[in-house]
Amino acid sequence: MENQITHTWFFNHAPETVWDYLTKSELIAEWLMPNDFKLEIGHHFVFGAKPIRRFSFDGRIYCQVLDFKPQQMLRYSWRGGQGDKVSLDSIVTWTLKEEKGGTELTLLHTGFKGLKNYLPYLIMGKGWLKIAKRMLNKMELADGTVEF
Amino acid sequence: MGQLNFDAFQVIADASRREILHMLSKESLTINTIAANFDISRPAISKHIKILENSGFLTIEDRGRERYCLLSQDGFRQLRDWLDYYDHFWKQKLSALETLMNKNINGASTT
Repeated sequence: MENQITHTWFFNHAPETVWDYLTKSELIAEWLMPNDFKLEIGHHFVFGAKPIRRFSFDGRIYCQVLDFKPQQMLRYSWRGGQGDKVSLDSIVTWTLKEEKGGTELTLLHTGFKGLKNYLPYLIMGKGWLKIAKRMLNKMELADGTVEF
Repeated sequence: MGQLNFDAFQVIADASRREILHMLSKESLTINTIAANFDISRPAISKHIKILENSGFLTIEDRGRERYCLLSQDGFRQLRDWLDYYDHFWKQKLSALETLMNKNINGASTT
């Protein structure tokens, strides 16, 4: 279990085409979610998703365009929660690379705040507590801080 | 009680609460023992413990006159569920994007 999510996908289409699907509001809506995206650093936008009650998630994802390089990279913040209470504070980065007549698209979803030091606990199964203890001991040996 | 109901990410965003969990990962402790390890007030510690209990990170057990805190798995499971949820979410969305592009751009510069 990592403190980030990453997926790489190959498309039989040129980077310009893939870029359009990442940055044109009406195209994004067709595969991701309804939105008011604009390709503009600093622009705030909202994705509308289905609420997930057990996560205290009201279905709205509040984003801001942080950075982009046309046809190469797009980065936005990704915050969700319940009303004003933000529980998920993370960043989504898309990277495009021209490859074999198509495009290799990489998604990186990072910065799940607060999670860093808790990965040992995320190891599940019957012996989870034993494993957590062992890993916590290692963390202590490493001066109590472990970067993932 | 609304303010004491946090979700898993908010719970572990606090350093004192992380420290409490860390202590409990070694052994079950009474609320008094936990409080004795902190400089902050006993009521403040009680509140942190309540938050941890409400969010499934610990359970409280009465043993005689003492109240013991025990680490519980549920809170940690919620963190993992979030990551699993998004992992699956993006896989699905990327697959939808592929299908959509292939449909919309029929025969355009495909290999």
